[in-house]
Amino acid sequence: MQTKCFHCDLVIAPQLNYHTNVFGNQQSFCCPGCCAVAEAIVNNGLEDYYHYRSEFAEKAQENEYEMLQTLKVFDDDSILQEFVEIQDDASEIQLTISGINCAACGWLIEKQLAKLTGIMKVGVNVSARRASITWNNEHLKLSQILSHIEKIGYHAKPFQPEQHEASFRQENKAFLKRLGLAGLMTMQVMMLNIGVFFDLFGHIDAQTKQYFNWISLLLTTPVILYSAAEFYSSAWRALRAKVVNMDVPIVLALSLTYVSGVFATVQNNGQTYFESLCMFVFLLLISRYLEHSARYKASQLSANMLEYMPTTANLVEGKQITPVLAKSLMVEQLVLVKSGEMVPVDGIIIEGAGQLDEAMLTGEFKLVSKSSGQTVFAGSVNQLGTLTIKVTKSLKGSMLNQISLLQNQALLSKPKIASLADQFSQYFVLAVLVISLSSYIIWLQINPSQALWVTISILIATCPCALGLATPSALSCAVAHLNSKGVLLKRADALEKISKVDWVALDKTGTLTEGKFTLADCISVPGQNKNRCLQLAASLEQYSSHPIAKAFSDITNTLQVSDFSSKIGQGVEGKIDGIHFKLGSVSFVGLAVPKDILGCNVFLSTNDKLLCGFLLTDKVRTGSAQMIKKIKVNHLTLLSGDIPSVVKTVANSLNIPNWLAQQTPEDKLHVVQKAQNNNHVVLMVGDGINDGPVLAQADVSVTLGASSDLAKSSADVILLDNSLEKISVVFAIAKRCRAKIIQNMGWALGYNLLVLPLAVTGFLSPWMAVVGMSLSSLIVVANSIRLLK
Amino acid sequence: MSIIYVLIPIAILLVCIAIGVFFWAVKSNQFEDLERHGSSILFDDDLPKKANNQNTKTPGKHD
Repeated sequence: MQTKCFHCDLVIAPQLNYHTNVFGNQQSFCCPGCCAVAEAIVNNGLEDYYHYRSEFAEKAQENEYEMLQTLKVFDDDSILQEFVEIQDDASEIQLTISGINCAACGWLIEKQLAKLTGIMKVGVNVSARRASITWNNEHLKLSQILSHIEKIGYHAKPFQPEQHEASFRQENKAFLKRLGLAGLMTMQVMMLNIGVFFDLFGHIDAQTKQYFNWISLLLTTPVILYSAAEFYSSAWRALRAKVVNMDVPIVLALSLTYVSGVFATVQNNGQTYFESLCMFVFLLLISRYLEHSARYKASQLSANMLEYMPTTANLVEGKQITPVLAKSLMVEQLVLVKSGEMVPVDGIIIEGAGQLDEAMLTGEFKLVSKSSGQTVFAGSVNQLGTLTIKVTKSLKGSMLNQISLLQNQALLSKPKIASLADQFSQYFVLAVLVISLSSYIIWLQINPSQALWVTISILIATCPCALGLATPSALSCAVAHLNSKGVLLKRADALEKISKVDWVALDKTGTLTEGKFTLADCISVPGQNKNRCLQLAASLEQYSSHPIAKAFSDITNTLQVSDFSSKIGQGVEGKIDGIHFKLGSVSFVGLAVPKDILGCNVFLSTNDKLLCGFLLTDKVRTGSAQMIKKIKVNHLTLLSGDIPSVVKTVANSLNIPNWLAQQTPEDKLHVVQKAQNNNHVVLMVGDGINDGPVLAQADVSVTLGASSDLAKSSADVILLDNSLEKISVVFAIAKRCRAKIIQNMGWALGYNLLVLPLAVTGFLSPWMAVVGMSLSSLIVVANSIRLLK
Repeated sequence: MSIIYVLIPIAILLVCIAIGVFFWAVKSNQFEDLERHGSSILFDDDLPKKANNQNTKTPGKHD
């Protein structure tokens, strides 16, 4: 049996040996990171966490020291100014925390922080994955707090709620208040009126009835004035824009019922329908609240995603490179931008050349080549090459603008079916208004006393709320379900497309495999010093952020490199002591390889002479095989930039029928485009910088939580816990979600068509109409909620 | 039956108090995170063993 990590539940490689004592028992761990975290938890007396938790923790970071170094930038004054609210000696900050999986995580973080002297208040919000912390700034620094959280395996970043998120929050509270008021009042009014309804034997005298009417009027008034206020303003906005929306017939029905009820009560003569009125408002508010809170939650989570936007930059001072805050950069300072990183500020290139993706600024996807002397803009992504930039403008504004733009885009991308329903409901509402007006006129001829109630019944019964709820309720339940499984959906409409996917492309490095290369062998050409070769390679790779570079990070890399450049998917080159070195694939090095080092996959060469070959191996992820077994699509393709032999081995071991090796980012893009031209709906799973373009091109793109910023910014679905098996869950949910939407729309339409003749012919009194309307909405919501299971 | 002329106003008064409490709860962020506080009652506040050097623990609660 395979042993699994006690902390994160990943399978432990048999050769590893990390243990610590928890609850007096020896427990095994998958990596030094997890082991250290568990030790920290136990040493702080917080081992109860392992009792309380309902989910396993995320795999801990291994290079803790580097992490703690970067945290120091958060003690900078400018960050304190922006994120921290200071009152006397108490500071308060909002943090977004990644790695929170269950309520026990909240408990653990609160307890862990409570141990620090100087902490005054900690509140962890598990569903939003945030914390608000108040501390005494004389005793404690922000970086200490962050590193304390880091020690138990969570990653915290300071965070400023966006303006519109703050307003979302306000609205959410207002909704709750309106809903609560309407609910409580509905209960009271219903209680009174049920008595009147079921008074079949006439025991309630006229005076008591009148008294009940007055009380009902008194209780209904706040509901009409306060709880329903949202409907008036929405209908008014629509009318002013010369359109009709769902709220117009609602407002009409509400005001007609209320006003006639007031007249009936004052004159002590006629029908009142206060209980129907309250219930109508209450049920409408429930459906609106559901939709709003789903969007509020989505906005919170997507705002948390902003933490992935780099707020730090690599400042170059002499030969030293220190991470600093992008905000603190000043004009004339030098900044190093590695390939795959976002340019932190506007500036001029003074060394190196690169290919920049300025899509965020210009909307054009084509890469722009830039070399020294040219201007680069904050927010563009350096796809290729390493740049040294001289800052020309400090950050202020530019980055923030672009981030809010990006987020607004995400919010605006409404599901297609939903917008169809919106358009449809426009005509629907118009038709309802026309029908109710004409039946009012006709009923005036037949029976004037009934005309008003028939009209109100039509307005209420045909209220298209069920139709409006059909899509958002199903989508939000599906999103919530996925979220609870550790899958983050950046666009809800991706779900719709997933159900149509018939062509899946997979990246190899970092996706199917762990993406962590380890140096398995180093074979040098006779006459070459192995150690020297390793040193050269390590020095070259220190400028690259490709996964391959990490395999060399343990080797001393003190050699000075100039003219460094990297070609995505091929290799890196640069000058050391004036000699030109190339490190990369066979085609990149461009030399004949002797037989004995042919098995290697990375080669070091200088001036047309091969020096050394490195064998780097990459472990296949545990979930890969399972995922491929579960995805049942006709076309499955492995796209990799790696050499054919390696790709073939992985493809064979995972039973993938089609594979393409040595694919450049452009090649991958073409393959996917070709499939799309053949009317396939393409799902791409990738993680790296080189997958960025193809992820953007694919109809649905999936990436892992540990991917590069670029992949995350173009992906629709993020598997937060890096387990590929979750893709099949996404497929299953998408299919169910689509079925639910169709069922819901069918039901809503069918109900409205059925009830209309009944209402027009006067068979339906207003209270029956309310019950019918709310039943149809409730059925839709209940149907959607089944998606949560 | 005349008792209802007294009882109903009292009921309304109670409802008003309930609404007041509910509004206060919404205002003080008690509905922000239903997941965490739903289960926090299950988690012990005590930190066993090293109990002496803590300043943020609830007094007098031991199993």
